Formats: sequence, structure tokens, C-alpha cells
Amino acid sequence: MVDEDRRKFLGVCLGGVAAAAAVAVSYPVYNYLAPLQQAKTAGKVVIPEQEVPVGGAKFFEYAGSTAVLVRRQSGDLVALSAVCTHLGCIVQWEKEKQDFLCPCHAGHYSHEGAVLSGPPPKPLAKLPFVVANGVITVG
Amino acid sequence: MGLIKRLTDWIDCRIGIREIVAKELTGYLLPKNINVWYSMGSILLFIFGLQVVTGILLLIYYVPDADKAFKSVTFIMNDVPFGWLIRMSHAVGSNMMVLILFFHMLSVLFMGSYKKPRELNWLSGFILFNLIMGISLTGYLLPWSQLSFWATTVATNSVSSIPVVGQFLVEFLRGSKLVGPATLGRFFALHVTVLPLAIAALVGAHLFFLKRTGVSTPPFGDKESSVRWQGDVYRYEDHPGGIPFFPNYALQDATSLAVYLAFFLAVVFFDPYLFFTRESFIAANPFQTPAHIKPEWYFLANYQVLKIFPNEFIGLSVQGAAMTFLAILPFIDRGDKRHPLKRPLFMVMAVGGILLWIGLSIWGHYS
Repeated sequence: MVDEDRRKFLGVCLGGVAAAAAVAVSYPVYNYLAPLQQAKTAGKVVIPEQEVPVGGAKFFEYAGSTAVLVRRQSGDLVALSAVCTHLGCIVQWEKEKQDFLCPCHAGHYSHEGAVLSGPPPKPLAKLPFVVANGVITVG
Repeated sequence: MGLIKRLTDWIDCRIGIREIVAKELTGYLLPKNINVWYSMGSILLFIFGLQVVTGILLLIYYVPDADKAFKSVTFIMNDVPFGWLIRMSHAVGSNMMVLILFFHMLSVLFMGSYKKPRELNWLSGFILFNLIMGISLTGYLLPWSQLSFWATTVATNSVSSIPVVGQFLVEFLRGSKLVGPATLGRFFALHVTVLPLAIAALVGAHLFFLKRTGVSTPPFGDKESSVRWQGDVYRYEDHPGGIPFFPNYALQDATSLAVYLAFFLAVVFFDPYLFFTRESFIAANPFQTPAHIKPEWYFLANYQVLKIFPNEFIGLSVQGAAMTFLAILPFIDRGDKRHPLKRPLFMVMAVGGILLWIGLSIWGHYS
């Protein structure tokens, strides 16, 4: 009976040590595998104005994702997330139609990011930006 | 407990798991006088597993490109969370694997376990030993440091002393006239695919031979110390009345592993650069040979032999002869006696060989 208790006690101790070892191994491995922190640029991207022609679009990396700046014929600027809200593909700018097409499942968005047709459930997210001294600062 | 029992019953009904456990674990009997040296194989298996896991983790960030390799290793060491731990475990682990492999081979030599009917175990183990040396050598180049680059230059260059085909072989090995990006590609492929697969296959064969022939009885203690096998028919060496593998010897394996881990982690945490030199931290520069480039500690004796002999080919031949002798030892040493003290010629040669190896290594280190 005493032996049984001792065996059980040692078993529990061994289990505890094994669990602690598993945690000690899992913690560094998880951190090693977790996505690395992107270099912080205060979340802002600076683009010279001349890089966004009238009626054209400029795609760029923004906050670890893809964004787009569009200049309408009227000269107005719009900054949008370029990630389709359906399944995450990157939308393409159709210069002739002045709208966005997602090539994956034919989702159409207006130049302002509103859904025109197709499966996207939500409009493209609008991004804040300012224009000063010929430079566009997004974010 | 009820759930575990029910689950075990469920599996047992289908594949007879309890029968396997009874046969392979609790009913797998080992010699009563089995000792701690028999657990070296288990430690090696564990180290190999750890090398595979840390190697896979390193592959996530390592870039096998001559322009990027050193930078990627620096990135792993400095920027990836716990990257230093993974890399150091891999680098220290490779050295430890060679060290434990030496212990394993020496114990087999001194206990005469390589003798008939275990020639195949010895041969498969000997090939494994060479493959481990090969995987260590190819892995050494991957960080693309000054040490990697020049140690590989020297190591691959020694092949050129083989008459007629030497120069061709060196270029074939390197993929170019000198060590360069082509060498990195070749060594990377060998290190992460060909050699690990070959090692895994040989480990399988090694264990298969062990399983078929049975564990040898240590030549110490109450048993008589001679080979019992007559060489007439296949006979499994069983150990009636011996101790079960599980839980008894599994506990010894676990204890040995804990002791190993203590040493391994002590190096990783307190002296991680034990096996590194200053050149390990400088990116490879093909135009600047460092002053005193030395191979890893386990190649120092080979390195010194090549330096001693005026002709490189003779130096290489001497090493080849020594290795061939070791490989075919079970076919040369065919006596029945297994106790080391009953084999005086073996003892003189073994102790002399070990002292010579240590002496050459120290000489190589300081030369």
C-alpha cells in the first residue's frame, strides 16, 4: 500500500516535470515561429504626388498589407486598402473603366471602394492621408 | 483512468496493442548485468531527433545563398526570438552527437559487442559514423563565415591528392574550381535532404539488426564473457530471467538522457561559443585567408596527419587504411573472448589508438 502511494507520488512528480519541460520547450518554439514584428514606421507611408498620375493608381505596402492610391480625372485622391473583402486577393485597377476588379472571383468595386457587383460583402477600407508640399502621406 | 482503459481496450481489440507492449516493452528482456553504456544509442537517437527538429526550424529563416547566408544566420541569432537558442542547440548538438557517437563506439569496442554474430550491426554503425561526419562537414559550410569557407576549402582540397582523378573529384565536390556559391548549393542539398535520409535509413537498419540478433551480454559480472554463437544457424540471443526494457531499462535511458541534457544545456546556456572561433563571426571573404584556420575538434587528428606526411596522398592513404581496418575489425578480430582484459592485443591497440588520436588532435590544435 505504501509502495503504491509512493509510486503514484513519483508518477505525479514526473508528470509535473514533463509538463514543465514541455512548456519550457514550447514557449521559445512558439515565439520563434510567431510572425516577426514589422519595423515600426509610425504606420505612415510617404509617396511623391507625381507617382499617382491622373486616372491612374499606385499600389504600395502599408501596415504589412497592400494599399492603393487613386487619382480621379477630376484630380481628387482616394486611399484604399487593396485587399478584397471577399477572400483577400489584391484588387486590380481598371484604368478604362475607372474601377477595381478582383480577378479571383470577379468582384467589382467603384473607384471609392464601394461594392458594384460580385461576392465581396464589404467595401474596401478607406485609409486616411494628407497632401502637403507635393507629398502624399498615408496613415 | 476509466477513459484511458476504455480507449486502450478499443485500440487493443483492433490491433492487439497489449500484445505488442508485452512483447516489445515489458516482455523484452535484457541481460541482467546490462550497464549504462548500453543507453548511448538511445541518447544518439534523441540527439538525431533534436537535430532534425532544430534543423527544420532553422530552415524557416536560413537562406542558402552565398550573398545572404551569413546575414540570415546573423538575423536568426540577433533578431528572431529565441533564434540563438535554436541555432546554438543545433550547433552544439552536432558536436555532442559526434562525442556521444565516440562513446558509443568505444563501449562497443571494449565490450567486444562488434564480434560475431554482430558484424552487420558494426558495419551499419560504422557507415552511420561516416555519415555523421559528412553531415557535420556539410553543415559547417552553411553559415558562410570565414571559418566555414576556409575549413571547407582545406577539407575538400585534401581530396585533390588522390592520383589521376583527385582534381576532378575536388571540382565535382565543390561544383566549381574554388569553394563558392555552387558549393553552398551542393552542401545545402546534402545536409538537409540526402544525408538525413541516409542516416534515418541506416538507423533503421542498425535497429533492425539489433532486433534480429538480440542485445549482447556485457562481458562483465556473472555471465561468462565469450561469444556463445557457433555460426551454424540463425539464433536470437535471448536473455531469460533478464530485466524488462520497460520500465527498468527505459528508466536507465531516461536517466542517461537527463545527464546528457544537463551537459548539453550547460554548454548551450553558459558557454555557447565553446565550439566557435573568432572567424565564425566574420562573413566569408574568398580573397582573405585567415591566419590559423582549423577544422572542428573531431577532424583535428586527420588534419594533423595530413600535415605530418610530406606527401598528401600518403597522409590520406594512412587515414584510409586506419578507417578500413576499423570498418572490417569484426572480420579480423575473430576470437571468442569479449572481456577487454582477456584481449591484451586488442587493449594495447585500442588504448594506443585512442592516445594517438588524442595526441594528434592536441598537436593539430596547437600546431
